[in-house]
Order: sequence, then C-alpha cells, then structure tokens
Amino acid sequence: MPRPKILLVDDDPDLLRALRLRLRANNYEVTTASDGYAAIAAAQKERPSLIILDLGLPVGDGFVVLDRLQNSDALAGIPVIVLSARDPQNNEEKALKAGAAAFFQKPADNDELLNVIRVSLGPAAPQPGSAWPS
Amino acid sequence: MDRQTTQILLIEDNPGDADLVRLRLVEGKSPVNVNCVNRLSDGLAALSKQTPAVVLLDLNLPDSHGAETFRRVMEHAPNVPVVVLSGQDDEALAIKAVHQGVQDYLIKGNISSRQLERAIRYAVERQGLLRALDMAQKQQLEFKNQFLSHVSHELRTPLTCIHQYVTLILDGLAGPVVPEQSDHLKTVLRSVNQLHAMIRDLLEATRAESGKMRVEPRCISLRELLQQAVTMLRPTADGKKIGLEVGLDQRLPLVHADPSRVLEVLINLLDNAIKFTPQDGSVVVKACLVEADPGYVFISVSDSGRGIGPEAKAQIFERLYQDPDAIDNSRSGLGLGLFICREIVRLHQGRIWVSSEPGQGSTFTFTLPIYSLAKLLAPVVTHEDRLRPAFVLVRIELAPLSSLPRGNWKDTWRQCLEILRHCVYLDKDLVLPPMGTSATSETLFVVASTDLQGSGAMTMRIREQLERLGNLKGKCMLTVTAVLIELPPHNSGADLEQQVQNVADRVTQMIMTNMERNHLGAGKSTQKSKR
Repeated sequence: MPRPKILLVDDDPDLLRALRLRLRANNYEVTTASDGYAAIAAAQKERPSLIILDLGLPVGDGFVVLDRLQNSDALAGIPVIVLSARDPQNNEEKALKAGAAAFFQKPADNDELLNVIRVSLGPAAPQPGSAWPS
Repeated sequence: MDRQTTQILLIEDNPGDADLVRLRLVEGKSPVNVNCVNRLSDGLAALSKQTPAVVLLDLNLPDSHGAETFRRVMEHAPNVPVVVLSGQDDEALAIKAVHQGVQDYLIKGNISSRQLERAIRYAVERQGLLRALDMAQKQQLEFKNQFLSHVSHELRTPLTCIHQYVTLILDGLAGPVVPEQSDHLKTVLRSVNQLHAMIRDLLEATRAESGKMRVEPRCISLRELLQQAVTMLRPTADGKKIGLEVGLDQRLPLVHADPSRVLEVLINLLDNAIKFTPQDGSVVVKACLVEADPGYVFISVSDSGRGIGPEAKAQIFERLYQDPDAIDNSRSGLGLGLFICREIVRLHQGRIWVSSEPGQGSTFTFTLPIYSLAKLLAPVVTHEDRLRPAFVLVRIELAPLSSLPRGNWKDTWRQCLEILRHCVYLDKDLVLPPMGTSATSETLFVVASTDLQGSGAMTMRIREQLERLGNLKGKCMLTVTAVLIELPPHNSGADLEQQVQNVADRVTQMIMTNMERNHLGAGKSTQKSKR
C-alpha cells in the first residue's frame, strides 16, 4: 500500500525541514509549499491525503487557501490540519468553520499532532476527490 | 469662548433667581441661548433632546434635593459639565458636589456676569480635557494589549523552531545520541517549556486585563478535577519528597464552572505550593462546604513552606509580583500566575485569598458557585409569582460520526449549544449548562414551560435549526426527544420557592436516570427519530 502523502504548507523553511524529517520517519511521504498560491497548485498537482497548513502565509494566507480548497470538488475532501502561531481563542473557530479538521497552536506537541494525523487518515478517511461518508 | 452661541440649560425653580441668572448671562460678552426649566424631570428631558454646552443647576428643586440632584444629572449626561448654583447655606454641599464630578459652584446672590461667564468657560474646558484624558488612557491600554498579543505571537515562531529541532535530535531522528547529549538536550527542552509557559501566561494576563478572557461554565464534579491536578503535579512533588494529599468533604455538590480554567487555577496553586515548600514538606488540597457561605464550595491549597509576609500578601495577586527570594525552576517565571488565577475566579463570581504567616506555611483558598438548578430555573418556571402550568424536559443528543478529530467535534457541539440558546424562549425556557468534563458525545437538556403538544412544535424547531445551521450533515447524529415533567401532586400546596425546588429536583432525577440508562445501554424511552 502506497505511503500516504502529506502536503506541508508554511513560509518558515526551518519548520518545513524539521517537520518533513519527522513525518518521513513516521512513514509519510511529504511535499511542501511556502505560500498560498503554491499551496493550491501543489494540492491540485500532488493530490495529498492530508494537508498541514500555516495561517500566516504570503500570496494568499491560510484562510484563502482553506476557502479555495473548500470550493474545489476535487480538493474539498482532503482533511486540513491548521498549525499556526496565532491565538486559538480568535482563530480556532474561524478555521474550523472554514473547513479545517483541527487547529494546533505552535509549538505543538509532536505526539498529539501525529495522533490527529493518524486519526484523520484512518481507514474510513476518503481519498481526495470523493465525498465525506454521510 | 468662540463666537458661536453657547447653549445653556438652567435648572432653577425659583423664578427670581432664574431671572437674575438669565440677566447676568445675557449681559456677558458672548452670545448665549438659555433654556430654563424648573423641575429636574424637565431638565433631564431637555438633556435627552439636545445637549447643552453646560448645565447650571440649583440643587433644591421640587422633585429632587441635594446630592441626589447633581448625581442624577451627571448620570444622565456624563459628558456635560455641571456648575452648581448654591445658596449661602449650601456651600458645604456644593463643595461635595465638586468632589464628585461637578465642575464648579457659584453662590447665588453674589454672581457677577463676568464670574458666570468665566465659570462656564472653565467648566467647558475642563470637561473637554477630562474626556481627552480618558480617551487617551483607553487608547493606551488597547495599544498595550495589542502589542503584547503581537509580541507573544511573534515569539512563538523561533520557539517552535527550537522545540522542533531539539525534539528531533532527542528522538534520534538525526542519528544516535549519547546519554550525555540527551541530558543536555532535555535541559534545553525544560527551558523551552518554561518559555512557552511564559508566553502563554503573558497572553492570558493581557486577555484578562482587557476583559477578553472567556470562561464556559459547565456543571462539573470537583472530585475528578482535583484528582487530575494532583496526578499531574505528583511527579514534581515526589522530586522534592513532598507529600501531596487530597481531602474532600463527603458529599460535594456539583459546581457551575469551566473545568479547564479551574484546572488551571489548581495547577497554578499546587505548583506554587510545591515550589515554595522545602524538601520533605507537605501540601494538602481540600474542598468543602462552609456554613457561613452556603452558595459556594471552598477549595484550599495549604503548604508547609516558609509563609508569606504582610507586604507580599498585599501584592501577591497583582501582575508581575514575584517573591525576590524565590528559586524558580518549574513553571513560568513571570509572576503572572496568581493574577490569572484571580481573574479566572472572578469570572466565576468566586473569591480568592491567602492566609499565611512567615514561618507557618500558607493557605490559598478560592470559592466556586454551587450549581443550583433551582436558582437557574426560578426566573423561567415562574410567572407573576406562580408556577407555570406545565413543563417538558427536552433532550438533545449529539453523537459524532466515525473518527472525527477532536477539535472539529468541540466546535460542532459548541455551535449547537449556541443555536439551541437561540431557538428557545428566554423567559419561558432554560437551556441547562452542559454537564461533565469531557465530551465524547454530548447531551444537552432544555426545560421548557410548555405541554406535550407544544413540545412537539419545539422539538421540530430545534431539530430543523440544528440540522440547518449546525451543518451537522455527515458530522454527527442528532436525537431530539421530549418528556413531560411530572410533579408530585401536593406541589401546588407548597410555597413558591419549594415548588421551584421540587421542579429542579424532579428534573435532576430525570436527567440522572436518563444518563444512567444511556450508560447501561438499556431500553428506549419515548419515540425517537434519527437521521
């Protein structure tokens, strides 16, 4: 069975490198993007099984990306985990309403993050392109 | 004063005095427009209609006397300067008025037009300055809080980087690590966690100060929370060989409080207690009821540390206060912990205080309101001093589908609670605060003042609103049922307070039975419709 592919979106190259290492060590394939526009393009091209998304991005911030994803039939089914330095009190609800599956504030606990990734990708999780189970 | 006409409101009931003042005003150099009324009520009405530049006020009017008069004027129009016109014998009162916010006073029978003009001009200028000062202060506070918010956000990025790479190496993902290296890295990680705690505290304290801290009270059991806090802090206590005990009253009632916030307070207090207690000491947590204050549960954390002196005691709950002799090697070292605790307790309508003497240890105590269903129900189940005729208990159960990540679930049911609150009649129905500390599935209850027939329409409305606005499709299963609340036959004979209590007791009983039944998975009560 092919390894699940995760798209990492963050404008901090150091964070991308560290997370990529950690995710690879946990048997995930990883592809990255550093701004909103590149994120959408990568989602369309790579069709990842899951997206980890920062909010403070150039060329279209996290919310713009979430919006574009939701409005695309092909991409709306991909679970998105928001990983952001922003305050959850003001942003968690907004992100979840915009379609995110979960919100983590940086620095996130590695085990908790990996757990949510695993759960979101679980056996019942959809492949990109199909609708949620109803 | 500029060339524009100054609008003056003169509230004076003595026609002779009024005429004199009016004469002096008109004699003056600047154009004025005087509106004279002779009762306070007329004066207040005039203030509502048009805002004058200044109010000239006699304190003894037919419908108001003395201090009451200027208090009401200032309350009604806080931004309009007031100059009191007082009689010879009232000077003391006039001075008191100035202390309480009136701009100036003049003694009748002795006023020249120049004096009057000057008094008015100064009063207007002073008021303007006060307003500008107030606005500037508010702006500064807002700016400071935004700044702190921004700073704490910015600090997270480099902190995250350090955290990521240290854990990467520690977890062996960058090659093998010898024990000595691992030790050093763990030391770094401890500092990272401390920094993280400081940033969190900074943001929390800022929120508390700008009134943006929110608590979401539920109906919870303290026993669980206390156990949780103690379990979390036990390793730290063991490290210093400090005994950590819990003492709970036999039957502690449920409290109406936010479980994660209360946990925060407990952890803070316990952490401090352990920090300030030497090796082999002891820390005791207690929760009990106190006869003198029946609506609250008292929770205390006592330690056998070195105690707190009177100076420190007075300031210990203030922001950034730190004991100069403390050795800090655990949590945040910013000194914000107790400030945040105080805010959290305050938002729960509780109190927090410390009792301590140097050399004799310290006890921090805080109170939380007891969950009283009767108190919450009273305004809703009674009308014009009588109990309403019929009640129905509506049960709304939300069960998440498949393995929805926790974050999404919390938001979903929280949204449902909001929607539910909006689809009931606030003066007749009560949405009960949620129960318990965790939520794998959530059951909400509404006590509605209606009969079974009316409840049909209500359950339909609730279901429709939740499904539509709550965006539940594909996320969770919704079940809405309603059961008539049967009261004991003698209920109408009791006094109103007892009747309300009986309703509360019956509802509690029904909910407990319902919860137990669900736990055991037995039976289905009234008809259910699922989607």
